[in-house]
Amino acid sequence: MLNFLKKIQYGARVLLAKGSGQTETVDIAGRPTVIMSGGTGAPFLYLHSALGESVMWLPFYQAWAKRYRVLVPTHPGFGQSGGFDRIDTVEDMAFHYVELLDALGLDEVILGGVSLGGWIAAEIAVRWPERVKKLWLSGAPGLWVEDVPLGDLFRIAQSRTKLREMLFHDPQGPMASLVIKDEPSEQEMLSTYQSMTVLARLIWERPYDPKLAGRLHRVTRPVLLLWGDHDRLVPPAYGQAYKQHLPQAEMKLIPGCGHLAMFEKEKEFVEAVMKFCQS
Amino acid sequence: MGAETSRGTGPLTRKREDMKYFFFHLMSWPYLPPDFDAVYDSAWVWPPNTLYDPVKGEELYREYINTLARADELGFDGVCVNEHHQNAYGLMPSPNLIAAALTQRTQRCKIAVIGNALPLYNPPLRVAEEFAMLDVLSGGRLIAGMVIGGGPEYFSYGVNPTNARDKFRESLDLILQAWTKPGPFTWNSKHYHFRYVNPWPRPMQQPHPPIWIPGVGSLETIEFVAQRRFSYMGVPYFHIDVFRRVFAQFREACSRAGYTADPDQMGWGVPIYVAETDRQAREDFEPHFWYFVKNLMKGIGLTPPGYTSAKSAAAILKNQKHFLYTQKTWDDIERGTFAIVGSPVTVRQKLAQYQKELGCGVVLTGCQTGTLSHELTRKSMELLAREVLPYVRDVATPQAAMNVC
Repeated sequence: MLNFLKKIQYGARVLLAKGSGQTETVDIAGRPTVIMSGGTGAPFLYLHSALGESVMWLPFYQAWAKRYRVLVPTHPGFGQSGGFDRIDTVEDMAFHYVELLDALGLDEVILGGVSLGGWIAAEIAVRWPERVKKLWLSGAPGLWVEDVPLGDLFRIAQSRTKLREMLFHDPQGPMASLVIKDEPSEQEMLSTYQSMTVLARLIWERPYDPKLAGRLHRVTRPVLLLWGDHDRLVPPAYGQAYKQHLPQAEMKLIPGCGHLAMFEKEKEFVEAVMKFCQS
Repeated sequence: MGAETSRGTGPLTRKREDMKYFFFHLMSWPYLPPDFDAVYDSAWVWPPNTLYDPVKGEELYREYINTLARADELGFDGVCVNEHHQNAYGLMPSPNLIAAALTQRTQRCKIAVIGNALPLYNPPLRVAEEFAMLDVLSGGRLIAGMVIGGGPEYFSYGVNPTNARDKFRESLDLILQAWTKPGPFTWNSKHYHFRYVNPWPRPMQQPHPPIWIPGVGSLETIEFVAQRRFSYMGVPYFHIDVFRRVFAQFREACSRAGYTADPDQMGWGVPIYVAETDRQAREDFEPHFWYFVKNLMKGIGLTPPGYTSAKSAAAILKNQKHFLYTQKTWDDIERGTFAIVGSPVTVRQKLAQYQKELGCGVVLTGCQTGTLSHELTRKSMELLAREVLPYVRDVATPQAAMNVC
């Protein structure tokens, strides 16, 4: 019952936030890219995970939009964004985003992302450190940690129960069943298959970039590493690995939280990012 | 019975338009623990390989190869082997090795490797080389099967499933050119670049060995095989309605491509088991078949993202009820003709009826399934070769099949 009420409450907040974000499609060097945005202030670029939070303007974007101009582009190949035929690697994604910054006339942004989005953010930062004012990563793969395997999302993608167990600290909680529904519509299933296909294209052979660790020293500006303490897909050891190569970084664990902090511990997640951006 | 001796089973007595029967062996692992289905979620990719015992494995390979060699003696038109990785279902990660052994153990039958999973080979020129070796070793008896490879193979080999289809087509074209275009030449395509393509040896059959493409019913594959004038081999494990649909679509696709489909371009995969009576056949066969279905097929349908288009993936999910793995009872098996099991007369009737109805010129079968013993397998294949096939080979006069006995 409590779960049910919490879901209703979240639904209401989504509806309230929805009107505040705008969506446009921008051509980035031939790749039609959907960008949601809201708020005014310093530009704040959010790079999404492969798990669907870019489909609509969500309350956590709205929370940041009170202070920043929040930009949430949909990666090439995901949702309604095109250009998948020219994307093979996470590096290709990084080049897409520097072209997006150019297209939008943004010299410098606060850059952050969750999961795959965090990895892409790191790849952008090592290539064009001068364009990244601050960098935050949450549940981001990209490095390799011996003896701490990443979860295998592809193996369990067809089991809703196993997905919830891998992505949430509390698979019985309200957000777990809201984000991973028991009976998704055909459209939702196709959309998930599309997202997993892009993810597979990027990471199937090797779920990290062997060059990244050696390039992270190029990032000298402030970095926040924000991890759910029970992240089973990209365990906190991966945050520690980033920290090893980014001595200036602050590593923060969110207690009782899995991989998708923006859903499972939204308040702590939003506030930690906000505090970092304002410091 | 008794008329069979006059009909002969040697290749010389056969007409071009006669049906062709190929004997398929998967080389399954029959020693899984009894609680396998309860304990393990898949016979593919992840079943611990400590369950494999190389001492038992040695005997299995020897006996399985003996069975295939026996198929040649019994007059089957060909023997088939295929490629699977990290699984208990089929123990031929390299079917080319078994095929090489068979070139020395068989005299006249075709050796069909169906096939090599092209995207898993890097460089794919390896396939051009090994197939050419097999063709020369066998004196021009190779049938060159080319496959994308099942979904589980992409987990096992870490090859990206999202461009498997592109890689498959590029590799196939590369291999055909490697066989037909004088080398050395340069190859450049999206996924492959070779400064020098010049394989030695070249195949014996000219311009190249027949190309067979196994398919599980996707329109993309049907269209591709028809356009390229290759042969489409329908993988077993589907309801007979699926084969009806597939061969109708294949003939249409050939017409669209401007020619009439040759029956030899269409192969129907179906397990067959023959014993003295219908009852005996079912008793012999059924428990071993369920071992196969419940244990060895578990995980076979694993589909990594991007392995097929989203539309095909949705279609696969919808068609689960036509797939062997979801069948529960022997009635289901009989109704869907997932296997043909019975006395020689029963098997003759069913074979004659369906091969005529489907219009296929090739039947890919195998008497072995799951845990079925070598002895019963060979007894069944002998009955099949002597008491069934001679009566149904000539599709032009199907009544012959019905009148004998």
